[in-house]
Amino acid sequence: MPATSSTAAGAASAAPAAAGKAPGIGRRERGDRRFALLLMLPAALFLAAFVLWPLARFVYDSFFEISPFAGSARTFVGFDNYVAAFTSEAFTSASVRTLVYTLFVVAMEFVLGLAVALLFTALGRRSTVFRTLFMYPLMIAPVVAGLLWRFLLIDNFGIVNELLFRAGLLASPDQIQWLSNPNLALFSVAIPDIWLTTSFITLVLFAGLQNIPGEVIEAARIDGARYPRILLSIIIPLLRPVIAVALIVRGIDAARAFDVILIQTDGGPQGSTTTLTLLIYRTMTRFGEPGLASAMGTVYLLAMLAVSIVAILLIWRPGAGER
Amino acid sequence: MNPLETRGPARILLWTALALALLLYGFPFLHLLLTSFKTPLEAIAVPPNVLPSVWTLENYVSALTRQGVDAALINSVVTALISTALSLVFAVPAAYAITRFRTPSGRVFILAALVTRMVPTIAVGAPLVEVMRNLGLTDTSFGLALAHTTISLPLSIWLMASFFEAVPDELSEAAQVDGCSRLQAMTRVVLPVVSGGLAVTAIFAFLASWNEFLFSLLLTSVRAQTTPVVIANFQSQFGLDWGGMTALAAVYSVPVIILTLFLQRHIVAGLTMGAVKG
Repeated sequence: MPATSSTAAGAASAAPAAAGKAPGIGRRERGDRRFALLLMLPAALFLAAFVLWPLARFVYDSFFEISPFAGSARTFVGFDNYVAAFTSEAFTSASVRTLVYTLFVVAMEFVLGLAVALLFTALGRRSTVFRTLFMYPLMIAPVVAGLLWRFLLIDNFGIVNELLFRAGLLASPDQIQWLSNPNLALFSVAIPDIWLTTSFITLVLFAGLQNIPGEVIEAARIDGARYPRILLSIIIPLLRPVIAVALIVRGIDAARAFDVILIQTDGGPQGSTTTLTLLIYRTMTRFGEPGLASAMGTVYLLAMLAVSIVAILLIWRPGAGER
Repeated sequence: MNPLETRGPARILLWTALALALLLYGFPFLHLLLTSFKTPLEAIAVPPNVLPSVWTLENYVSALTRQGVDAALINSVVTALISTALSLVFAVPAAYAITRFRTPSGRVFILAALVTRMVPTIAVGAPLVEVMRNLGLTDTSFGLALAHTTISLPLSIWLMASFFEAVPDELSEAAQVDGCSRLQAMTRVVLPVVSGGLAVTAIFAFLASWNEFLFSLLLTSVRAQTTPVVIANFQSQFGLDWGGMTALAAVYSVPVIILTLFLQRHIVAGLTMGAVKG
């Protein structure tokens, strides 16, 4: 298309003049607006029909007691489902687990992701090939990652314990019960999630690191600052907006994790990995209580929306990055 | 040169650290590939071996000839293609309108699309079961593709908006002065300029559908089931067939990884664009 582009570019200088002379700027603008609305309409209608409408149904259902069989009676029960949700131990502990899981995933990904991003930066242009290799888990299905790690961590024939044992770090190959120890399982099931998406944090932080003005770091170095000090007082503060965006995007995904956990432990052992999505899914399908599940889901939905709206207001607003 | 780049002998240490990190990072998938070439018995041997003692395609043959596996692979491709097409058809005009005309409605719309991305999947998926039943789309690839599009559309709008952002307004204005209509300015002049961005967006939309699990689990049962659900069912349905599972997982992941390596430059741009620009 170079021909079109150059013609268009050639005419570009004439455009503002022509627009300025036209008597009906208002009319043109109104035409623009109508055209813009028309272009957005299909996407808006789609999202209204397949996201907003289902969500409305979901929230509406939370006020009813519903029999799981299609076409049978439903009774309006007001806020009973919410009372039931908040007084159930299952719901409160699943909320805590979701929070712990999310914080653990995000913290690990941040530390590892930043370390690798700094490593790539220190190695300069030669690291390009390795950056590519580092990216491949991002493309793998979470289900595959979950199964893969279950296979690696499984108690009797997992390769991780076997290698740790051969390296002399473990006394026996089944010493660490990664997925069957209720106190450990919530952290073990997070490993595939961390493995899958640390690269995302690395890529984003690496791109951010390239934008840090070199003079600032040179100046600090001349003043005698050492690497840890430069990292904590210059690099991280300058990267703050980028870090915030990356962590929020990942945090929201981690808080919704479902397939990775379902595949590894199905919420066990002793419910120790039952996070909110798993609990809601199970309340709906296995326990046959769609009304209660919708109430739990609505609370979860509102919490997620509140977090994301606060995040958008705090971080995405232009100029909010500096203090 | 970036001042954070290290010179001198310290570099050797850094390269070693990188090699170690990559080995740790790559080992899980390498182990999956190696296991897929073991015999089914050796795959679950105690203690496990790293390298297969006999290299065989047994697991691949058994996994791919299993009932429903070929259909699931076809379903995955079909669903992902439909969903990618839907995402682009909806996202491209919307993103163009948002960036080109900068109307207040556009600002509201792109924020709304962003919020959509943060909604718990289960809160959309559960009620979609009934929506699909009412539309007669239960257990169809098209119905599942519609559901997957709820995930990929907001992402596609954001990606396309950032690609359109890079195109100067003068380009479409000039096209209109030259006699193009607003629609022609978009389709004939601006769209060819962002064809690279279009490809990136298509890949991300495809991957979102290809790897999706929860909607597939909720909305399909027999006919339209996609591969992730079939992989997940390997454990219960056929006992613990780890060998077959690793083979099918490899078949499902390797094409995507190869695609990634070919298109990596574009994909990195797509991944980091929204975030770094703030």
